[in-house]
Amino acid sequence: MNPATHLFQAKVSGARRHEKWVFALFRFATYFVLFCGLGVFLNIVAKGSRTVFKAEAPFVNIAFLTQAPESLYLFEWEGQKREMGDREFRAFKAAHPAAAQVPTESYVYSAGGIFPCIVGTVLLVLGSMVIALSLGVSAAIFLIEYADDGPFIRFVRLAILNLAGVPSIVFGLFGFGMFVIFFGWNVSLLAGWFTLAFMVLPVVITASEESLKAVPKGFREGSLALGATKWQTIRKNVLPYALPGILTSSVLGIARVAGETAPIMFTAAYVVRDKLPWEVDHWSDFFFQGVMALPYHIYVVSSKIPQNEYTERVQYGTAFVFLIIVALIATLSIVLRNNLRDRYKW
Amino acid sequence: MIESPSALPNPNFAVQKRRLRFLGLTIDDTIRAFFGGNAFVAVVVLALITFFLFREGIGFFVQNRFNVELYRQAGLEYVDHIRRQADDHAALSRYLSDLRLRQFSILTEREKRSLADTNTALAPFDTFAEQFSASADPLRALLSDLTEQATALKTKFVVTEDRKEERRQLLAVGKLAEAAAVEIVAVDFARELQPLIAMLPTYQTANRDFARTLAELIERPPALVQVELASRLATFQRFTRDYVAGFPAIERAMAAWDYRQPVPVWHALTSFIFGRQWLTASFWQDWYGILPLLVGSLLVSLVALFLAVPLAVGAAIYVNQIASLREQRFIKPCIEFISAFPSVVLGFFGIAVLGQALRTLSQQSWLAWLPGFPFSERLNILTAGSLLALIAVPTIFTLAEDALNNVPRAFKEASFALGASRLQTVLKIIVPASLSGIISAVLLGLGRVIGETMVVLLCAGNRIAIPDFTQGVAVLVEPVHTMTGIIAQEMGEVVRGSVHYRALFVVGLVLFLLSLAINYVAQGIVRRYRISIG
Amino acid sequence: MTTRPPSAFARSSALSANSPASRLSPAVTPEVLVAIDHVDFFYGATQALNDICLQVEAKRVTAFIGPSGCGKSTLLRCLNRMNDLIEGTRLSRGTIKIHGVDIYQRDVDVIELRKRVGMVFQKSNPFPKSIYENITYGLLLHGRHEKKHLDEIVERSLRGAALWDEVKDRLHTSGLGLSGGQQQRLCIARAIAVEPEVILMDEPCSALDPVATAKVEELIQDLRSRYTIIIVTHNMQQAARCSDRTAFFYLGKLVEYADTRDIFTNPTNPQTEAYVSGRFG
Repeated sequence: MNPATHLFQAKVSGARRHEKWVFALFRFATYFVLFCGLGVFLNIVAKGSRTVFKAEAPFVNIAFLTQAPESLYLFEWEGQKREMGDREFRAFKAAHPAAAQVPTESYVYSAGGIFPCIVGTVLLVLGSMVIALSLGVSAAIFLIEYADDGPFIRFVRLAILNLAGVPSIVFGLFGFGMFVIFFGWNVSLLAGWFTLAFMVLPVVITASEESLKAVPKGFREGSLALGATKWQTIRKNVLPYALPGILTSSVLGIARVAGETAPIMFTAAYVVRDKLPWEVDHWSDFFFQGVMALPYHIYVVSSKIPQNEYTERVQYGTAFVFLIIVALIATLSIVLRNNLRDRYKW
Repeated sequence: MIESPSALPNPNFAVQKRRLRFLGLTIDDTIRAFFGGNAFVAVVVLALITFFLFREGIGFFVQNRFNVELYRQAGLEYVDHIRRQADDHAALSRYLSDLRLRQFSILTEREKRSLADTNTALAPFDTFAEQFSASADPLRALLSDLTEQATALKTKFVVTEDRKEERRQLLAVGKLAEAAAVEIVAVDFARELQPLIAMLPTYQTANRDFARTLAELIERPPALVQVELASRLATFQRFTRDYVAGFPAIERAMAAWDYRQPVPVWHALTSFIFGRQWLTASFWQDWYGILPLLVGSLLVSLVALFLAVPLAVGAAIYVNQIASLREQRFIKPCIEFISAFPSVVLGFFGIAVLGQALRTLSQQSWLAWLPGFPFSERLNILTAGSLLALIAVPTIFTLAEDALNNVPRAFKEASFALGASRLQTVLKIIVPASLSGIISAVLLGLGRVIGETMVVLLCAGNRIAIPDFTQGVAVLVEPVHTMTGIIAQEMGEVVRGSVHYRALFVVGLVLFLLSLAINYVAQGIVRRYRISIG
Repeated sequence: MTTRPPSAFARSSALSANSPASRLSPAVTPEVLVAIDHVDFFYGATQALNDICLQVEAKRVTAFIGPSGCGKSTLLRCLNRMNDLIEGTRLSRGTIKIHGVDIYQRDVDVIELRKRVGMVFQKSNPFPKSIYENITYGLLLHGRHEKKHLDEIVERSLRGAALWDEVKDRLHTSGLGLSGGQQQRLCIARAIAVEPEVILMDEPCSALDPVATAKVEELIQDLRSRYTIIIVTHNMQQAARCSDRTAFFYLGKLVEYADTRDIFTNPTNPQTEAYVSGRFG
């Protein structure tokens, strides 16, 4: 026997090589997915940042972030190619009457900015999350703290599970049928809030349930044994410890709400609206107005206007801003959750 | 010091006396009821979704039956017999042009003939094709006459119905004089259809001429420049003979046609479920058949799953069983991050980058062996499917990883203790043990992609037709429309309460039920095959 | 055994004069605080307690012993109706009376009951609040808010739980920062802060080391003059050391209930003898 080998000598066998190959394949699958995700992300970021950032101070394209969208006009003037936004072009025509006769090409939404869309999206997210959180946390409290296992609870759980699988466009149809038509709210913030809130409800309930479950049973028993009522126990000794978890997990719900287009297409979103949401005559009109929203604006600018070098700026710019907002929210939720896991251990 | 127990026995011990009550409920009961009510919201929402989809959608079947009935009564069905005949003829003509194209490319590319030379060589064939095409001219003229008559009749009827509705509304608000002023002329279908029916002998004569012309034409086919195409010509001849042989059947069907034949009630349903056409705002006849949309949705979803399942399950196995802890900590948040990509951004990416990139890729000569390559449509099933795969991967990955995680450690340890390698353990113990979870993950992924709207709306190409399955796998590079896409696209443009509007709600209902069914099956699988230990 | 105050023997010896038969019968004496009468108790379809009859005397330490799953913890949790929190449980027969009041009758307020019947759990469960807040938690619930009064009770309770000297300088640090034994004494302090009459202890020392156990046992000795204590324990030495009366349960039945000294030195039932001599359990 060769003295270098012993009974447990590692051998290079066919099976070993086979294993290595298969594992490499799994690894490839994993990194391929990450690569694709990264590819999409970088493409949007690379082209979008050209619109949103500038080389000179203040480095951010303030106009893009603070103005409303307008049409872009292209024309030749004194041998030079000029491009102007709607307002600028009108001023230009006033200054140079001859310009009115110049043949122009125009692209809608391709100049100006996306400020009303950002505002609309923020409003939609805030309102729907307030509704979803108050409904969802209460529902979770019931399911975890009060409910005895019975047909009613099984029914509720089944409903939540199924609600989670309903396509977002169906929520949009439902919101249209119920809020817009039946309640007569028309295309409005309120209709969008409720539609989005119901859509995200299963996410919030599940997240809240997880957080409530993570509070040890001892806290409840200890409190009840001291003669606390159920509600006192929940309010003082369960909710405070569950709340950070509930809120962080619900941030993921925010990302979902902010990212969805289909539910707001017929319930809350306008293609274009000149007034900003707070420019209303009466405070109650605030709730019954439609708004512009980033995701819907992306849909509009990517499908309703041609693709060329002039429209690309607004397309990529909007997509970039939107992606960054959603990505920040998602990252925030992931980071918060990981921190929370480390901090709360009892 | 601490209060000592009062004298024994104390009959008032712990007997409740002083809790506030509303309607017989203590505060705690009220709070409980409040939370219970909130939990019930989930049930209520689900019920409301069902209710409102039905509320808006159910009228479709009544209206659609009316729609189908009108199709018969106004004679459109009658005329469509001839229309189909003309369409079939056009298809045969297209076959001839295809044949010409093949000859043309053989002559120019293989034999390197000049353009003029080629055209001269093909001249006899062109003459034949022209004659073939012209043979249907009398038929087409007849068809156009009949179409006009039937359309006029249909319009007349619709106008009458509108007037009736107008009068009803006027009566409802009490404007009797105005209501009486609304002129309503009842449509007498029997009389109005008379000219149409009377056309039959003319048609039969024309048809006989047509059949004779075709038969003569087909007996003296042009000489082909290439012998290898002879089989195609023979096929063409066979098709044409079959076509001509079908004429008597058409005539019989037309002779037997009767506008009074009632349209069965279930026809409204079957024409929706099995309808092969989704045709709206047409001058002739609207059809609401869900089949093209359903097929589109399924094809796109299948492509997405075909791409996503191996990647997601492979990644789940890798992360859960093979990767180091550090890699896990890096990969999991990254994939979660991908799941947060808004679908509309992905759709935009498809339009702006991926569609063009895939088309360019398909035109590379070294990839020409792939079925369907090269393709010319930028937006098609493949483009939408690839993007949907990116949406499905995080869903499937997360759930499959959970399932793998739930496999008890003991299984793995027992396998290792028997001297199994890691691969053997993974493939023979871990994956089979979590298979139910993985399958349900895939199903939920299917639910996710079939309900996805923005990507398919932007990237699937939006052509409402059942793609041509005869080309095999190459069908996957055709544009389609989907159920979600059609709702998103047309909902904003339809008249509220119209049959089209209601049809969209019924599509939503189908989508809703489909997603419930997928969910149900997925949950059933998990429940049924859950591992129970201890 | 030497740690036991002689007075306990003097009192219990008076009862031990009763014949074994009369121990199990519901003899009403003025000292009986908790009277358990023919109780059957179910977890779903499983019967956990079978026809339990038992009287707990006021201001004594009563120990429930028996092997795992014999129903001793279940019975304990019946006494302040903590079992109500577990789904599918029911007291199907019999009564439990405290101060002569059936605590399972309809108009009993569970909250009021639990205020009067405190509980200390197997695993110490201080709330993730400061030591001070842990003690005042129960008081605030019951509407005592004056700061001076609260301070007083906190000190008194912590002294009562023999914890004051160890924590008086860090009352406002988290209760979770204490050692295991301290945490358990904090839980006892928390329980006595609401001034209950009965304190139920569900294996309070099972998660503690011997030194911490000794401290808790000492504390139990101190508390016996003021509270009626019922303690469930796995540890027979502990029962012998600190209880006046001992009830031995086996398979959901009360096998024997007598003075602790009798149970350990002269059990009448062969099962009890087998258990206390360590032959099973």
